[in-house]
Amino acid sequence: MKHLRTSESALPEVQSAPEAASRVKRDRWWLCIAPLYAFTLVFVLGPALYMVAVSFAENTAGTGFRWAFTLDNFLKLRDPVYLNCFRESFRLAVSTTILNVLIGYPFGYFMGRLSVRGKRVMMFLVMVPFWTSSLIRLYGWLIILQVKGVFNNLLIALGLIDEPLKILYSYPAVLIGMVYALLPFMILAVYTSVEKMDWTLVEAARDLGATRAKAFFTITLRMTLPGLMSGVILTFVPSMGLFFIADILGGNKIVLVGSLIQDQMTRGGNQPFAAALALVLAVMTTLMLWLYRKVTHTSELEGMF
Amino acid sequence: MKRKLFALLLTAATLLALTGCGGGQSKSGGELVLYTWEGMFPQEVLDGFTERTGTKIVYSNFDYDETMLEKLTQAKGGDYDVVIADDYIIEQAVQAGLVGELDKSIITNFGNINPRYQGQFYDPSDKYTVPYGCGIPLIVYDPAAVDFEIKGYNDLWNPALKDAVAITANYRVINGITLLSMGKSMNEEDLEVIAQAGEKLLALAPNIRLIQDDNTQDALLNGEAAAAFLYTSQVTQVMAENPNLKVVYPEEGLGYGIMAAFVPVKAPNAKAANEFLNYLLEPEISKACFEYIGYVNTTGAADSIVDPSLVAPASAGTGEFIMNVSEEANDAYNRNWTEFRAACGQ
Repeated sequence: MKHLRTSESALPEVQSAPEAASRVKRDRWWLCIAPLYAFTLVFVLGPALYMVAVSFAENTAGTGFRWAFTLDNFLKLRDPVYLNCFRESFRLAVSTTILNVLIGYPFGYFMGRLSVRGKRVMMFLVMVPFWTSSLIRLYGWLIILQVKGVFNNLLIALGLIDEPLKILYSYPAVLIGMVYALLPFMILAVYTSVEKMDWTLVEAARDLGATRAKAFFTITLRMTLPGLMSGVILTFVPSMGLFFIADILGGNKIVLVGSLIQDQMTRGGNQPFAAALALVLAVMTTLMLWLYRKVTHTSELEGMF
Repeated sequence: MKRKLFALLLTAATLLALTGCGGGQSKSGGELVLYTWEGMFPQEVLDGFTERTGTKIVYSNFDYDETMLEKLTQAKGGDYDVVIADDYIIEQAVQAGLVGELDKSIITNFGNINPRYQGQFYDPSDKYTVPYGCGIPLIVYDPAAVDFEIKGYNDLWNPALKDAVAITANYRVINGITLLSMGKSMNEEDLEVIAQAGEKLLALAPNIRLIQDDNTQDALLNGEAAAAFLYTSQVTQVMAENPNLKVVYPEEGLGYGIMAAFVPVKAPNAKAANEFLNYLLEPEISKACFEYIGYVNTTGAADSIVDPSLVAPASAGTGEFIMNVSEEANDAYNRNWTEFRAACGQ
């Protein structure tokens, strides 16, 4: 097939007339896609390049900047204060991902083993929260967790505590919010993987004497690894940037890179520094994606036999 | 049939509009174009002016000070009769020659202004502006939850307030009150002093319950915080909800933000504009306005009749404005702020 196409383009003069016409027609299809390309170039690549350019510009007093090449914005990142933001973002992303794996994998696994009707109901229940804006759902958590909130009132009514717990505006509160926001992505990724699994393989393993645990770890886990890895990426990458959860549930006390960028863009009035931060964050995320492709590639090979 | 009915209605509407116009003109006085944010006046204050003078008020809005300056620049100081905006933008408008001098022979109530809010940087000799409300961030606390008297910023550092203080989220303001607590200026440029302020801020971190700009006052109502540093509108709101709370004008000094009215240099109806400003300075009218917008009363003559929570006590310290500082100083303030926030989360 590939060979044929090469010879065709090498000898265009031997093409028959109808073939050439269909070729032209096929070429015109590009016109339909062209606006999409133009859109991407203007609104995705353009701003990205602008951001890269600004990250090397010089900041001025007030909100403006001047076009002069400097590496200051990147050198400033070495300040422990700012390095700490990256570390904090990374720590939160890792903890969120681990918790999501621990909760989301079993959830997705058992969801995939339900009857067709059961699956449909579960899918519906997982999707329902998306009908409400995530910001409004977060405010719901505020009401649940605050000192005079639902959770504390419940614990006091049950006689478990006397003094209300100060849960809100702390690291655990932020973690609850992050896990809550990203859990559906993990569940759906694992579910997809479990759903298309060939269960006869597990039966065969059991017939050949493997214990339930052994069958799970050698067959099921390996075959659902691609789904689990997509879930990990789908929760890890966004959690590096989801700063509004930390701002609302953490009372602005957990400083993530996203929040720092917003600060520098708005009140801080240092756009070049904000651009440099965004660039470094983007590079880090790209590295994670690259790592993901490497890992899933190998895991797919493992799952082949 | 339908079309006929529509035509009839249209004619009726046009006639109504025409009579409306005629009515306004017969009273004479023309119109006054008022240019400010939305919701700055109770309707009865505007209606009262029209009733008294026959001048119709056209209320025109802007969202940001910068938009106002741009429009006014395009109009070369014309089109609008009275503009109300923030202090710093007025300074720029004055420098650009867009602001006309007030006619004090018309504004006989000029003496009603509280001198505390006069002679400020944007109008040092009081030639151009009439203040219309002042924003002063203040400390509010719940005496039931705090067992000592809070008098100033330094009390926020008291270990008794561990994990119990809510503050607003403006990095310059929070750096500013720390500097005030050290007896320095909110606009300090000396990097060493700013670094010292950063150190002092870190010591405040264990007491911070939350940092937030919107609805910060809720923390006092829902029991999350025992003391809070709030913007004026938030102070007004929280006191309305729970009058048992205590408001503190910090003894170390205040941060000011003043809104003021001016008459553009080529105002089409400058006479009516000055009359309007004179009208606003009447104590009863000032009372109605400030209770409506919830900012600190700047008309001294109205102090005795306005809601007492809107009056800055005479004993309160002097006010200082947040001004632009050098790029290096701004960087240092930003760094302090990020370090402080991160320390709060530890």
